[in-house]
Amino acid sequence: MRDPIEALLEKVEKPARYTGNEMNTQVKPFHQAEITFAFCFPDTYEVAMSHLGMKILYGILNDLPYALCERCCMPWVDMRAALKKEKLPLFSLESRTPLHMFDIVGFTLQYEMSYTNILEMLSLGGIPVKAAQRGQDDPIVVAGGPCAFTPEPLHAFIDAFMIGDGEEVIVEVTQALLEGKKQGLSRQERLVKIASIEGVYVPSLYEASYHADGTLQCLRPLVPQAKSRIKKRIVRDLNAAYYPSSIPVPYTQIVHDRIMLEIMRGCTRGCRFCQAGMLYRPVRERSVERLVELAQALEGNTGYEEISLSSLSSGDYSCLSELSQKLMEKMEQKRVSLSLPSLRVDSFVKDSLAETRRVKKSGLTFAPEAGTQRLRDVINKGVTEENLLTTLRHAFEQGWNSVKLYFMMGLPTETLEDLEGIAKLAQAAVNTYYSVPKEKRMKGLRVTCSASVFVPKPFTPFQWCPQDTVSQVREKQQALRKLLAIRGVTFHWHESTVSQMEACFAVGDRRMADVLYRAWELGCLLDGWTEHFHYDLWLQAFADCGLDPAFYAHRQRGMDEVLPWDHIDAGISKSFLQREYQKALKGETTVDCRQGCQACGLHKTKGLCEACG
Amino acid sequence: MMVIFEKGFALRHIGHLDLMRTMQRALRRSNLPIAYSKGFSPHVQLSFAAPLSVGIVGLREAMDVPLAEPVEEEAFLASLNEALPPSLQARKARLLEDGFPSLMALVAASRYTLEAGDGPNAQAALAQMQPFLTLDTYMAMRKTKSGEALCNIRPLVQEAHQEGDKLHLVLKATPQGSLKPGLLMKCLCGMADVEEFPFLAIREEILCRDSGGKLVSIEEYVHG
Repeated sequence: MRDPIEALLEKVEKPARYTGNEMNTQVKPFHQAEITFAFCFPDTYEVAMSHLGMKILYGILNDLPYALCERCCMPWVDMRAALKKEKLPLFSLESRTPLHMFDIVGFTLQYEMSYTNILEMLSLGGIPVKAAQRGQDDPIVVAGGPCAFTPEPLHAFIDAFMIGDGEEVIVEVTQALLEGKKQGLSRQERLVKIASIEGVYVPSLYEASYHADGTLQCLRPLVPQAKSRIKKRIVRDLNAAYYPSSIPVPYTQIVHDRIMLEIMRGCTRGCRFCQAGMLYRPVRERSVERLVELAQALEGNTGYEEISLSSLSSGDYSCLSELSQKLMEKMEQKRVSLSLPSLRVDSFVKDSLAETRRVKKSGLTFAPEAGTQRLRDVINKGVTEENLLTTLRHAFEQGWNSVKLYFMMGLPTETLEDLEGIAKLAQAAVNTYYSVPKEKRMKGLRVTCSASVFVPKPFTPFQWCPQDTVSQVREKQQALRKLLAIRGVTFHWHESTVSQMEACFAVGDRRMADVLYRAWELGCLLDGWTEHFHYDLWLQAFADCGLDPAFYAHRQRGMDEVLPWDHIDAGISKSFLQREYQKALKGETTVDCRQGCQACGLHKTKGLCEACG
Repeated sequence: MMVIFEKGFALRHIGHLDLMRTMQRALRRSNLPIAYSKGFSPHVQLSFAAPLSVGIVGLREAMDVPLAEPVEEEAFLASLNEALPPSLQARKARLLEDGFPSLMALVAASRYTLEAGDGPNAQAALAQMQPFLTLDTYMAMRKTKSGEALCNIRPLVQEAHQEGDKLHLVLKATPQGSLKPGLLMKCLCGMADVEEFPFLAIREEILCRDSGGKLVSIEEYVHG
């Protein structure tokens, strides 16, 4: 037990989080790689290893003969304390190399409440937390993922952001940085070099100025190489795009411990609250042949017993029935089960229900999001109560007895009537169950209603909307709790203070970086884990920086206001978002783009969108 | 098929359930004709002779793999090992005839080596081994299926001798459970009045009683 890291492993809970060596991980000799990349996930191992994007990019980078990519996750509190006590740096899982020894340190940004973990991982890894303090030999710190579309709150810590699909841009950046390294370029020169790559945003090459009222005046490029707008990257052909045929199989149980098959990217529904639905446009599908081939390779290489189809709206995949049939055929012999998550009510067809059950019963989850048809029209969630209840009836007849219903509270224009609607819908679900003859239904009904708090997200029609205040949300939660005191129904809700902080970071400007830094100094960490979220410390951080959460979270933004993400081009035009916002206020719905192009902005590039051609 | 395998140093932190899942997936990767359980979630029903605690290396662990059709032992070994990571490798495979008793029912004891290191606490604790053996009873809190219970652990220590920094042990398994090396070391630390210290525990082999009542390794038992 002389190896210091081995000695630490004896002391921490769940040591398998830190041991590496899982099946199918890539272990290349560290010192032989021309350029090294530490792929960092700012949450625990169990969450990190459940993330599909990481597996894709890990595979892509390690397939490059000149590069090496290793993983690193946020250590749990006990390991963090042990590292600090023994003065050991945070290390990669594969070769146990300290983070500061890598050429590139890349974070994936999936969730605003993991931002303090990024600062902590940099600090534990021996890297100056603030980008401005990094020197020639420090790693270049990059970041990508959905939250990279709203990079300003992290501008002080990340050297370069990659916006949009990562498959191509991550290779271009790695290659450019390798060239820069070989040419002996200075840190600044290397950053300017990658700033010219499409989709790359180097925040230090811009300067922000503000109006007296605190709103943004402009973000000014400081050098000619800094683009005035950064266009998101789009992988045009998913069939040609890299997809791993082998993925690491953890020894310890993780959140999503199965093969994830990304069948489609993008969504055509146009739900007005949904950021992913806008950011991942245009819609692109993988072919059935390619998916079956990938599924077989993945099954053979991992031994996983379950496959889940992954996309924003799997029910909209044009050949879902053919795909599930073929997968079942090929996988039956090895008893692989197939689960179809994030299925929408209206796309859930009876025969696909039957197929899912042929091998394994998986949970039923529906997201009506709002309790009344009026509000569902406002948010453009094209689901009716009739849709939902018909599908539920089928499911109950087929032997399902538990269902999860997801709602949001605090949506724009919401009234008490909408909250009552949630309870009515839950009651209707219960009634539907009891309307199925006793001998046909399975005993023990469980209806779980979850209500999250609406967070206004950039690049959605609701980006200008205020979020309900913490006290407004609490009142609504209490009201809903009483309304949902129904036999067979369990109610879960989210802490409104967390949602407020999430909103502040989602719509935040560069000054939120000060709040983040201060909060981290005050000890905020692992904020996504309820037991570690300290609202009082966050409020103190805001106060210490002379800022008010209400300015970010609870303020109606003007249509002509310069927004902190206006320099990021997500392909969606502002006029489309404004149009959609106006329609929302009038309760008018918009059809699915597959039924008619809505001119969201992506249509301008011909042949890009599979829905509008 | 009875399989003797090693759970190496790099994988010592894997718990029993995680090890089981890892084996199941390796068997699936190997494409060997394994038998699946019936029912809604068909799976490979492995049975281990004696679960190994987190943190312990196992040199000759034993498990029973149900097969749908017989496979030649050497071929089985080769296919399984190809699907297993380097620190989890099968050493032997032996076809068991139908009706062979469950491996778990055969286990009588386990032979361990504890590498305690040369720290002062380790030395003090190891020095208590002989005094411990002279006792008739030593009561300690042992984790059982239903919480914790005070239990006399002295009779569970069948053999113990020290060799430098190492402690060689034979710990008995009873229907009420077995003694874990960690608990014994904790007791020795308690007797020496020193803080607990990290040490490496290795299970050398799982032991069964042969017809003459002698302790033999499970491999020998099955072989003979």
